[in-house]
Amino acid sequence: MGRFLAKRVIQGMAVVLGVVTVVFLLRYVTPGNPVDFIAPLDASQETRRRIAEDLGLNRPLYRQYVDYVGDLLTGDMGYSYRSRTPVRPRVLAKVPATLELALAATLVAVALSIPLGVISATQRHGPADYGATLFSLVGISTPNFWLGVMLVIVFAVQFDVFPTSTRPVGLLDAVGNLVVVAGPERGWALPLDASGFLADLRSWLAYITLPAITLGTYFTALITRLTRSGMLDQLGEGYVRAARAKGLPETLVRYRHALRNTLIPVITVVGLQMGTLVGGAVITEAVFDWPGLGTLVIDAIGNRDWPLIQGSLVVIGIGFVVVNIVVDALYATLDPQVMD
Amino acid sequence: MARDIDRRDFLTLAGTAAGAAAVAGCSGGEGTPTGDDGSGGGDGDDGDDGGTDTGTPLPEPETRVGYLERANRVLNEEVPWIYLNRQYSVYGKSADVNWEARRDERIDGYAIEPTGDRDSVQITQSAMDSGLDPHDHRETPTDNIVLQAYEGLLSRDREGKVVQELATGYERLEPGRVRFDLRSGVSFHSGDSLTKEDVAFSINRIVDPEVGGLDSPQSDQLAGVTGAEPADGDSAVVVESEGINPVVFALFATYCDVMNRSWVEDNDEAYINSHMNGTGPFQLAEYEQDVSVTYEAYGDYWKDGAPADELVITAASEASTRVNQLVSGETDVIVNVPPQNISQVDGADNAEISPVPSTRVIYNAMIYDREPFDSVQFRRAMNYAVDLESIIESVLSGFADATSQPTLEGFTGYNSDLDPYPYDPEEAERLVEESGYAGAEIELHTPNGRYLKDLEIAQAVVGYIDELENVSASVNQRDFGNLTDVLLDGDITTGPAFYLIGWGNATFDASQTLIPLLTSDGSLTSYKNDRVDELIDQAQSMGGGEPGTDS
Repeated sequence: MGRFLAKRVIQGMAVVLGVVTVVFLLRYVTPGNPVDFIAPLDASQETRRRIAEDLGLNRPLYRQYVDYVGDLLTGDMGYSYRSRTPVRPRVLAKVPATLELALAATLVAVALSIPLGVISATQRHGPADYGATLFSLVGISTPNFWLGVMLVIVFAVQFDVFPTSTRPVGLLDAVGNLVVVAGPERGWALPLDASGFLADLRSWLAYITLPAITLGTYFTALITRLTRSGMLDQLGEGYVRAARAKGLPETLVRYRHALRNTLIPVITVVGLQMGTLVGGAVITEAVFDWPGLGTLVIDAIGNRDWPLIQGSLVVIGIGFVVVNIVVDALYATLDPQVMD
Repeated sequence: MARDIDRRDFLTLAGTAAGAAAVAGCSGGEGTPTGDDGSGGGDGDDGDDGGTDTGTPLPEPETRVGYLERANRVLNEEVPWIYLNRQYSVYGKSADVNWEARRDERIDGYAIEPTGDRDSVQITQSAMDSGLDPHDHRETPTDNIVLQAYEGLLSRDREGKVVQELATGYERLEPGRVRFDLRSGVSFHSGDSLTKEDVAFSINRIVDPEVGGLDSPQSDQLAGVTGAEPADGDSAVVVESEGINPVVFALFATYCDVMNRSWVEDNDEAYINSHMNGTGPFQLAEYEQDVSVTYEAYGDYWKDGAPADELVITAASEASTRVNQLVSGETDVIVNVPPQNISQVDGADNAEISPVPSTRVIYNAMIYDREPFDSVQFRRAMNYAVDLESIIESVLSGFADATSQPTLEGFTGYNSDLDPYPYDPEEAERLVEESGYAGAEIELHTPNGRYLKDLEIAQAVVGYIDELENVSASVNQRDFGNLTDVLLDGDITTGPAFYLIGWGNATFDASQTLIPLLTSDGSLTSYKNDRVDELIDQAQSMGGGEPGTDS
């Protein structure tokens, strides 16, 4: 297992380096000089030249690449072109929001889809099955931007059950209110401000609900179908018949034996999908103005802010790799043949 | 005569009229006319038809404003552009606040008055700041964020008229030297009093890369200014310019936030970009990069305290997201409501649309020496071919004004005698025949999504031109960065011959549109006409009426 993981980590590093390399190659072909996005249209040639020099844009690209990779190995992601502030803290500040959303969407998906899939498989060709199948079809075909906007219009604007967007507090801050925060600028925060903490947590929940549903819908539909077909396969297997013949109760047969075997491919897909979600659910984040990596990348691309684009993609790449390693490890535990 | 477009002279761009000596008969700049508010009528220029190529020539103008108005008249006749529209800033505002939008795309939190028992106000922009150093950026979202806490020597009211801010008086001492008298009793948020050294330092920090630890991208905003020094004895500052710099006061009314010298010198760049220490009505309470900026009213502000105790600025890049926030009562002011969302805001009972003419003009440049645009008849034909009123009504929901010249109404140098070209396709076809370019095929290059409905405007323009019997037209969508790259490379021959672009000019002075866009040396020029160059050089060599002086 250890050797297996070590191999995976090394492969993962190669992937991240690949991401950086591709981004640098893209700089070659992408139109638009970053200076045009920093300087206004009426800036003099002199101003433009100074800005280019300031940003090191007049150095050959391979030098920029070598320096960047060298800095990256020491954890330095450089400075944003637009704001001239370090990239690393800005990117890392977005990670919690993206993870929160990815996990919440996964939670919504798993909690809904596995029961739906099981019901669908066990009541094959019954009304429940048709209902679940129809739901999956709709879920898979509904684009996120439409669903998100509709949910906002219905549940936030019309009925005012949830807020629309721009959350005031993240989970870490909400939880952070429970512990003592000491800082030179804040002084000593009051410890255990329980009512404030609960209010923050409630607010966080209210703000994450619609984005999580929006992001989780496609995911739910996918896993429902996967669970259904996997479960049908398993229920037709010989060991199920043997278990029934032995006189085991049907619930035990279904949930203890058949479902367990069904979940192996489901875990893979959940893991891979989570990887995509960690990449910043760009559309959902835009609709709900969610302060995650997706929003950051889009802004950075819009401004040709290459250091920020690179930094975000490196972090997203690392996220992908980590999720995949975790899935592989889980898989290897469930099915030891994988390691060979 | 050889074209010398590659002569990219910074001074000319700066409007300091390096080439003005070519013009005879006006030494310009002697004396210091003050008291004339610069908006007085023109130069008796009221002939209703062309003075350049028909009939009797008009008399030579006598004032700076007169020269600028004459330049606009010539440009209306020579039509280097298809004159399109003045863009509006369309804000959404909640019913819980009283607020009137400004013309210069800036939102002044001090002017937002919460009603009832509200004491906090929220603004949602389309983007957050690129750091809080007021001298280290060049875009509107950041302007709006720093302007709540920082102030300049002069400012503007909602209509764009110059008003006093940290300066109580200003005058031209001699060509190239102006003096600002400073307001007393002003303090920075850190508690330090405002001094003349702070003001001189702030100006020098922008114009001089060696001062203040910053090579400011705003040096062009104070174009022509070479430096400043505290005046002897009085609480005043003397600003030096190269040449006469007639727009110097207009520049200071829009740019140059005053900072505290010792605060800048004692702190590093990262700190200055994440903290604020100005003299403005709001002081920074909390800064969360890329997410939000929170301010509280500054207790020792030199005017009455701000109506709102707390101000929060956030951003949402999606217009529909901003609109939903507004109609659900989560925010008070939102920027850029696109035409398709206007009915949603107007239909809500707790919100309304607040449109205001902006300082941005949208136009189609036609490069003056490329076929078929080298024919003035053809260029005029293009203006007759386009039904501008219909475009404004259908594409922009009426939130735009038709233009007749490069300069917008209300600007110094706007010529009020000119009307937009009427829609007259028969006349357009006749002029095309006359130009000798019947059968021409032209392609309009346009960005998509950079300006409000830019692509849709371009498609409509091309649709009208294509309807002419003897011209065919098509649209070429371009990435904005890619388009500006070829437009700004200092070589007029590399760019497309026909393109749509927008130009914002917050100085409210015609010269800052005409010089960069329509003179031989302009950074984004598409045109060369000796008469226009001469008129503008003349204008820039005269100390025009100083805006807003009442002394």
